Amino acid sequence: MKLNLNRRSLLMGSAAAFGASMLPAFAQEKRLRMFWWGSKERADRTFKGNELYMAKNAGMKIDGETIGWSDYWPRMATQAAGRNLADVIQMDYRYIFEYARRGALLDLSPFIGKAIDVANFDKNSVDCGKVDGKLYGINLGNNSTAMMVNAAAFEAAGLKAPTSGIALDDFGKLCTELTKAAKKEGFHGSQDGGGNEPGFEVFVRQRGGELYLEDGKPGFKAEDAADWFGFWDSLRQSKGCVSAEVQAMDKQNIETNPLTLGKAAVGFAHSNQLVGFQAVNSAKLSIAAYPSGPAGSKPGAYLKPSMFFSVAATSKNAEDAAKVISYVINDPEGLKAYGVERGVPPSSKARESIAGDLDALGKAMVDYIAEVTPKVGPLPPPPPKGAGEIAFLLRRTNEEVGFGRVKAAEAGKKFFAEASSILSRG
Amino acid sequence: MHMASVAQTSGGIGQSLRKSLPAYGFLSPWLIGFFCLTAGPTLASLYLSFTNFDLIQNPGWVGLKNYERIFTNDPKFIAAMKVTFTYVMLSVPLKLTFALMLAMALNKGVKGLSVYRAIFYLPSLLGASVAIAVLWRQVFASDGLLNAVLKFIFGYQGPSWVSNPDYALYTLITLSIWQFGSPMIIFLAGLRQIPQDMYEAASLDGASPMRQLFKITLPLLTPVIFFNAVIQTIEAFKAFTPAFIVSEGTGGPVDATMFYTLYLYLEGFAYLRMGYASALAWVLVVIIAIFTAFSFLSSKYWVHYDD
Repeated sequence: MKLNLNRRSLLMGSAAAFGASMLPAFAQEKRLRMFWWGSKERADRTFKGNELYMAKNAGMKIDGETIGWSDYWPRMATQAAGRNLADVIQMDYRYIFEYARRGALLDLSPFIGKAIDVANFDKNSVDCGKVDGKLYGINLGNNSTAMMVNAAAFEAAGLKAPTSGIALDDFGKLCTELTKAAKKEGFHGSQDGGGNEPGFEVFVRQRGGELYLEDGKPGFKAEDAADWFGFWDSLRQSKGCVSAEVQAMDKQNIETNPLTLGKAAVGFAHSNQLVGFQAVNSAKLSIAAYPSGPAGSKPGAYLKPSMFFSVAATSKNAEDAAKVISYVINDPEGLKAYGVERGVPPSSKARESIAGDLDALGKAMVDYIAEVTPKVGPLPPPPPKGAGEIAFLLRRTNEEVGFGRVKAAEAGKKFFAEASSILSRG
Repeated sequence: MHMASVAQTSGGIGQSLRKSLPAYGFLSPWLIGFFCLTAGPTLASLYLSFTNFDLIQNPGWVGLKNYERIFTNDPKFIAAMKVTFTYVMLSVPLKLTFALMLAMALNKGVKGLSVYRAIFYLPSLLGASVAIAVLWRQVFASDGLLNAVLKFIFGYQGPSWVSNPDYALYTLITLSIWQFGSPMIIFLAGLRQIPQDMYEAASLDGASPMRQLFKITLPLLTPVIFFNAVIQTIEAFKAFTPAFIVSEGTGGPVDATMFYTLYLYLEGFAYLRMGYASALAWVLVVIIAIFTAFSFLSSKYWVHYDD
């Protein structure tokens, strides 16, 4: 037999061989995409969890994508517009309503008791992922607002570090004293928390209000905002917190927080972020609740689902995506990889399973949640459309006060008026 | 004139098409890109500007509502216009002046001209990149390199050049000058075309170098100046990266760097109002078009074409 090779047959042959070599790979491998925001610490843990899952489930490939919080939402919106959302999406309580009501997320109710096991969740921990009666997000962990405190800095200055229950005014005084006593140039008691939306929410709730009411209207008054901006303005002037210039460099993430940059002894965050903060802070950090209101105030803080995993409505492998979610909330291996970096697991069995593996940090966080649980208020109504924009507005208004563009009283009125106008526009 | 005579001599339309077919073939990568990636989305955004598109749900028609809001009820639009116009009005003349001065220096017959040209062009290649913008953020921060130098030499504690609303925009304007490369190259080419004998004649008549600059160089260079001014103005209106990176995408501090494009981006991608953002984009197109039209109208009075 004579083998007759011309250019065409050679091309065809090699193309066929190439195609054949690719085929089995396509046939066997199912691919899922997972998208989350967060620090490097979280990325390491999530990739680890995915690897363990892939090792256990041959033929499953999970591609992880991660990015910082502030860039996450524009990216998500772009992917949603391109009908190109990842299968497994990390979701936040603020945005789950927006995305669910716009039809971008899949109702996970049909998977419950099958692909997803939430039998050991308490009822609230499941229900917080519901929108209009359907389940769009699986709670990955409970957390609450928390201050990250460089206690050593306070002790070195001969002061007692702030702990849960400290009143806001006392907190201000303590920070001012620390700045004076520490005598380090550019080092202050606290970050400027005036633009920190969770801080403002806690403050408003302590006064009996809410950030947003059930009907999507503002639940606070202009005076509340004015007092809030006023508190931070006086703290800036007494040097108790960092200057407006320094605060303006904060990207509102762990890496650029004034605490991490060594410019402040207190940073405002959420309890699950203790792991992330400690990873980039050389000083040992402790954790405390946000300052309380004056005597007789209501509890401001609440237990919050730190984040959810949701499945995109466009996912072609929804069931596999659901199984991955179940793995990280139930399987001892998955739980161990994630630890408590996304908050304290809502499943009682999961908490038992990881209890033995917790390091001092993890224990501190679990203890913190246990400590605040009896003292917190109820979960607030869902944030309306425009809540994300108002968080930007809070930051900008605090900057306007910080840079002396407006007085705090006027800023309160202005913030209230602009927030109302954003909400009515939707 | 020229084109018409070519068409007349080449016979019928079919024949001319057959002749130009290979040219279109070679152009096709660009043409496909133009129609799919530029013209298509541009037209789509025109449609979207009349809708309430939120990126996720299907767009719903709202007529002129978006445009109405822009012109009657949007203080942030006005604030963003102010920032953008300040940027355009200051950065373009500064950049062009700088580029022209360097081009004239290089035109004096320096040795190793091509090396200098390459070096001076480098910032234009790097300038708009994210890495450089991140670097600026470090250099111009309150405890950044610039303030360290100021303190060391002058004992002056500078402010944070990028996070103080009084300085942030001007810092960005200064940084834009750094990207003088492409206008410089074009100026250099323009300078080379000015006949040397004019200068010789002028020196013989006793004209000083200053007089030569204003009476020969600048008038003969006006077509190039005009071209650079138009291109750079359009570029400046579209500036996005520096403000986005330096302000971390917020336009802060206190909206001091809220460029028009950044405002548009936030409306579209952060607040999910893509319909409104599309309308903003078309308003910007019209503004740039009006600006360019005025430039062309005015050019009659100050640009000297050599014909």
